[in-house]
Amino acid sequence: MRMSVLALCATAVVRAQTGETFFEKNVRPVFLAKCNGCHAGAAPAGGLKLDSREAVLKGGARGAAIVAGKPADSLLIRVVRHMEGNLKMPPGPKLPDAEAALLAQWVEMGAPWGKSAEPAPAGGKFWSFIPAAEPKIPAVKNPSWVRNPVDAFVLAKLEEKGLRPAPPADKRSLIRRATYDLIGLPPTPEEIQAFLDDNSPNAFEKVVKRLLASPRYGERWARHWLDVARYADSNGLDENLVYKNAFRYRDYVIAAFNKDKPYDQFVREQIAGDLLPESPALDTQFERWTATGFLSLGAKMLAEDDPVKMEMDIIDEQLDTIGRTFMGLTLGCARCHDHKFDPIPAKDYYGMAGILKSTKTMENFKVVAKWHEYVLAPKEDRDRLAAHEARIEAKTKEAGKISGAENRKLTAEAKGNVGAYLMAAHETMLAGKTALKPLPAGATVLVEREGSSFDAGNASKPLEPKKPNTEKDAKGPFFAEFKIEAPRDAEYQLELLDEERGGGTHDLHINGEMVKAGLPPVQNREASPDDGGWSPLGIFTLRSGSNTIRLQHKNRFPYFAKLRVAPSPLPAGTPVPRTAVQIARKHRVNPSFVEQFVEHIERSNGAAASALYAFETFGKQRPPGEWASPAAKLFEGFQSKSIEDVANRYQELFLKAMESREAKDAPLDALKEFLDEKFGPLRAPGNARDYYPAEAVAALVKIEEEQKLLEKETPDYPRAMGVRESAKITDLPIHIRGSHWTLGDKAPRGFLTVIAGDRPALPADVSGRLEFANWMTSKDHPLTARVMANRLWRWHFGRGIVPSTDNFGRLGERPTNQPLLDWLALRFVEKGWSVKSMHETIMLSNAYRMSSGYDSAAFEADPGNALLWRFNRRRLEAEAIRDGIMSVSGGLKLDMGGTILSYKDRQYVANTSKRGGVDYERDIRAVYIPVVRSSMYEVFTAFDLPDPAVPQGDRDSTIVAPQALFMLNGAVVLKHSRRMADMLLALSGSDADRIRAAYERSFSRPASDKEVEQALGFLERIGKVLPADSKDKRALAWQSLCKALIASNEFIYLN
Amino acid sequence: MNAHWNSYLNKNLPRREMLKLASAGFGQFALAGLLGATDRNPLSVREPHFPAKAKRVIFLFMHGGPSHMDTFDYKPLLKRDHGKPLPFAKRKVVSAETHNLLQSPWEFKQYGQSGAWVSDLFPNVAKHVDKLCFVKSMWGSNSRHGGALLELHTGSDTFVRPSMGSWVNYGLGTENQSMPGYVTICASQSHGGANNFGSAFLPAPYAGTPVGSVGVPARDARIPFISNKETPRDIQRMEIDYAQQLNRRQLEDTGPDRALEGRIESFELAFRMQAEAPELQDLSGESETTRKMYGLDNPVTEDFGRQCLMARRLSEKGVRFVQISHTYKWDQHANLRRDHLGNAREVDQPIAALLGDLEGRGLLKDTLVLWAGEFGRTPTAQGSDGRDHNPEAFTVWLAGGGVKPGFTYGSTDDYGYYSVEPRVHFHDLHATMLHLLGLDHLRLTYRYAGRDFRLTDVHGHVVKDILA
Repeated sequence: MRMSVLALCATAVVRAQTGETFFEKNVRPVFLAKCNGCHAGAAPAGGLKLDSREAVLKGGARGAAIVAGKPADSLLIRVVRHMEGNLKMPPGPKLPDAEAALLAQWVEMGAPWGKSAEPAPAGGKFWSFIPAAEPKIPAVKNPSWVRNPVDAFVLAKLEEKGLRPAPPADKRSLIRRATYDLIGLPPTPEEIQAFLDDNSPNAFEKVVKRLLASPRYGERWARHWLDVARYADSNGLDENLVYKNAFRYRDYVIAAFNKDKPYDQFVREQIAGDLLPESPALDTQFERWTATGFLSLGAKMLAEDDPVKMEMDIIDEQLDTIGRTFMGLTLGCARCHDHKFDPIPAKDYYGMAGILKSTKTMENFKVVAKWHEYVLAPKEDRDRLAAHEARIEAKTKEAGKISGAENRKLTAEAKGNVGAYLMAAHETMLAGKTALKPLPAGATVLVEREGSSFDAGNASKPLEPKKPNTEKDAKGPFFAEFKIEAPRDAEYQLELLDEERGGGTHDLHINGEMVKAGLPPVQNREASPDDGGWSPLGIFTLRSGSNTIRLQHKNRFPYFAKLRVAPSPLPAGTPVPRTAVQIARKHRVNPSFVEQFVEHIERSNGAAASALYAFETFGKQRPPGEWASPAAKLFEGFQSKSIEDVANRYQELFLKAMESREAKDAPLDALKEFLDEKFGPLRAPGNARDYYPAEAVAALVKIEEEQKLLEKETPDYPRAMGVRESAKITDLPIHIRGSHWTLGDKAPRGFLTVIAGDRPALPADVSGRLEFANWMTSKDHPLTARVMANRLWRWHFGRGIVPSTDNFGRLGERPTNQPLLDWLALRFVEKGWSVKSMHETIMLSNAYRMSSGYDSAAFEADPGNALLWRFNRRRLEAEAIRDGIMSVSGGLKLDMGGTILSYKDRQYVANTSKRGGVDYERDIRAVYIPVVRSSMYEVFTAFDLPDPAVPQGDRDSTIVAPQALFMLNGAVVLKHSRRMADMLLALSGSDADRIRAAYERSFSRPASDKEVEQALGFLERIGKVLPADSKDKRALAWQSLCKALIASNEFIYLN
Repeated sequence: MNAHWNSYLNKNLPRREMLKLASAGFGQFALAGLLGATDRNPLSVREPHFPAKAKRVIFLFMHGGPSHMDTFDYKPLLKRDHGKPLPFAKRKVVSAETHNLLQSPWEFKQYGQSGAWVSDLFPNVAKHVDKLCFVKSMWGSNSRHGGALLELHTGSDTFVRPSMGSWVNYGLGTENQSMPGYVTICASQSHGGANNFGSAFLPAPYAGTPVGSVGVPARDARIPFISNKETPRDIQRMEIDYAQQLNRRQLEDTGPDRALEGRIESFELAFRMQAEAPELQDLSGESETTRKMYGLDNPVTEDFGRQCLMARRLSEKGVRFVQISHTYKWDQHANLRRDHLGNAREVDQPIAALLGDLEGRGLLKDTLVLWAGEFGRTPTAQGSDGRDHNPEAFTVWLAGGGVKPGFTYGSTDDYGYYSVEPRVHFHDLHATMLHLLGLDHLRLTYRYAGRDFRLTDVHGHVVKDILA
């Protein structure tokens, strides 16, 4: 990460006011912020490194950077003070004088250096890089407490401090703890009773084994893994596209936990499942492809104009996730420079990045980019699919050929008639100057009709706002005709009331002739601000007697409330403004090109560089000398009496320009440019197809129908996100400061040198991903087993032996009990990387079975319970709270797998105009609720579900008011407290019995007599407050009771 | 607190704990998060690093990228050279092809004592130019909405990082414990969505509280879970009392436990929030004049006017950071003339009203108002009536708390394609904003994944020249 240098400042240990402190406080921050971006790492600028005292004294290509004790002679000081000619550092703004003075003072002091953050030793001496050695099981004073070696390690630490472990938890607390812990649900009253009744010495072992065998176990523990796999069902970084098939990875993880897939295999499959020897069993092969979805699930910038940056960002995300998830290392830091604390040089980073660069995660890096997915079907089917998709693509090309040819014909006509177009545009603009106004109040109206009262047409009645107003499956154009009687031949104004503009407005035809084309749709807003009320369509000639007024729209029929016709409000003698359509007809030209000319001329409005300057400025008293286009030459000496003259002149010139296409002639070339300007008025109009000959349209329609049919027939195979080998295997150069604009030496693909040592180069024909996975899961890898053993411990105890579960580096925390961690890691590998056997080892210890009770002396000595003198009382996680509520109400559905997302793959889940429509209020288990990045389920967010953009093995457990608001008002709570109330009321027996049942279900313990009495009192009080006429009064009172139980601390905290 | 509870505290809590309770007050102590990791309410008021000029922020976000050449950055040469090619190289990475220079369809005039140029799009805001401090040499690094929104809100277009509002909340806490400290009204769900107001790795309480979201009219925007239609208030109070009775009884068994105690208080706070928050959103108490001033009587200005008025009310109540959004409207690749005009009409009057109202109430002096989009637009035309995204140059303006009024800082080239030195990057804007709030952007850090993070990453300079 390019900003990781900051960490240095913060770890600077403040000691007594010494030179060292002075350095840490005043000098190192400057080096870090202003210098080390270039002057550090493997390829320092100018050969100068400013990251150790020796390096500074040694200097770079220009010699020593400082002379200790002599600031005036020190190059560094002179350079920052801009006293060395052109050599001014740092680049950008000059270093503030105050900072330069402190640097000088430091040199004067002899350039003392801090010790706290020397570059990491290269030898990998740090504890986590040394493979675990079999620890000696410690002797303890109280061996009777030791049930298995875990206890010996825990007790030894406690005894060192003179602490005693807490007494065992009572059986009810223990089964509640173990059940929530392993399956994320409360124990049933029957399960509790069975455990209470079982007095055999292995009673608890039986409980644990029963829970591990439950399919609910995988649902609970997969969710832990999904936290570190930063699982989500949508991209959610910039463009929130649905990962419709991400759920297959989730289901793969659930199945892996349920069948106790060996962890090494689990890791291998996620990094390189596709590269394992191909399995003849299709399901196994699909599973391996699906596993690699792990690499593809990250949040990506899918709309990035710089494809190289996009690819490197995706690789970085993958590498950082791999580092944190499997090894507890922040590899991402080395993207910009050698890791400042851990032995991860940039060269290693780019060595590993090369492996991922040689891996195909994406289909393309366009805006918006497309990720790769596997088709989970046999080979024959996949081939058939590919052929089918090629046929669809071919149809697009076929259609493009036809419309291309027709467009060329249209534009050729327009290019040959520029003069006519100019005149038509001129008239249209003149007409536009007579602004149409709605009729004044009280004006005479000839006729006013309800929109829905049209006399003929194929629009559906009645017209409704925001509806297509067409019959289902009907084909356009859609129209409505009104018969209007006019008293005499005259001009009339036509108006619509509340005309809708969602998808464009109507075309208008009068007596069989089109007189006005529809306005384009209004983008980005429901309606433009000015079109409330009546909108005038224009002033048109009607003839004496019957007239047909036809409103038409291509593919829907916009709503309007009323149509009215009134005598023209213009004063007599005023010329009636005609529409572009009418004017175009008069000039026998295409109205769409006329509109394009109008738009162009209005925008340009006599700009000096315009090729049409002479036309645009006609009659405007603008000096011809201002015309800056080479075309000006063509008009030298040209005298014009009228605008027609100018238009005719242009007509001649443009014809000439077209005749001499190939010849070089600067003035004429300016006109040629105009003819071909991509966004100019002679481009093919958006509605060009309206002007194609019928045969061409028919051919296009046929192709499109065929294509639609093909699309419909596309076989729909299951797909899974995943990666595969890239067609090109390549090494990456080091990116200096993480930028692909500044490249350094090539970094051959490889692993982390500090662990892997020097290895032969990876073969040139494979990415190295499989080799990478095998290295990661080798028995002697110092991190993989430790990191996972620590995660398992964390998820059981609420705190890792290494509390920073995702960081085993120098800036992570140290293990509170390393021998214990090493012992666990070694057992993990020894038992075939079996996760379930780890659960047993951990849970069957006495350490796990301790009470969470308070002890003031122990609390004084170890308030954070780092040494585990008691079990940590823990708040349930978001999923367990929700599932727990649904479970006690009896409403939880145990359907497994699949996705409830109703979106298509790659569809935008939350577009700009509405909230992602995901139905979160479902009663399936929480793990199956989609994780929509940046539009997450509010209940989960409130209860600390980690941001699914980054791996998180150590969830927060905050207490904030929104959580209480959820308990008071959340839909889940309201629904299920009512369900619970109904369930209790359906029980036979007394209310006191019902209260006991409610306690048993909610808290896994019976209610005391006093509690029963209090609850009865509460019900009575509520009964008095509820309005006498409320329906279900009794159920409402019981619902309140259930809500209070669910809201209570005892419900969501595990002892 | 009942007598039983008091005696329990006296008996069982270690002396040290008691002292904390006494000095901090129960409410302060209550929200302690992270199971003993901290005994401070994460949202309690924290002293700034140095005396602050601004106590709170109102951010008016113009999503889509308003065109600076058509609003506040007057470019006479653009008019002169309309239709000519841009006489220098365009940016290497662009989001779409643009061709020749396109003059602004709007006229510019000078306003106020400061003589600032404002286009006809903002006739009402123009009346307040002497309160505004324009920064015309803004630039960012990303040419797409998603990346640029994330840069503007979080400082990073590469990773998910805490948003500026959550940094401010983390740095200063909130003045009103019955209200969230950081509220974002009708925020976009796209282009980064919740990442733009999320807390990322900062603890969850620092995240922005969304009130409504895009597509929800401002009049219907609510805080999540703030009410339900089924439970009458008095019944709810009884439910809480009963649950609290259970909670206190449980504490007798467990011994002191900060988390359990904190959760007891969180219910009381939630209950208070239920009462206070909806009241803040209910604008019926505002005078007719005020409602008219914000344009609540006009369907064009009603929605954004309501947002502006809510922002004032929230600020008044001590909410530290309020963001309101004119969501994804300003992206005129086409139809510039029609849609920039439509957009401006929706926001111009409400913004002017907010500025006037804040001043009238004496709030402007310690409230920082920021008007910004995620980038500007190109002076070169896209299609026939549009402009493309332009992160290389755009204008933002600030007003109030500690910035120079009636002042313009920085500029762009002749046409507005690139901003020119001294340029102001998002990081610099962030550093400056924190500075105005009394926070040193170099010292406001949070340790995560082995390093100390800042809002400004390894960048950022306070733009000293705009400080009053």
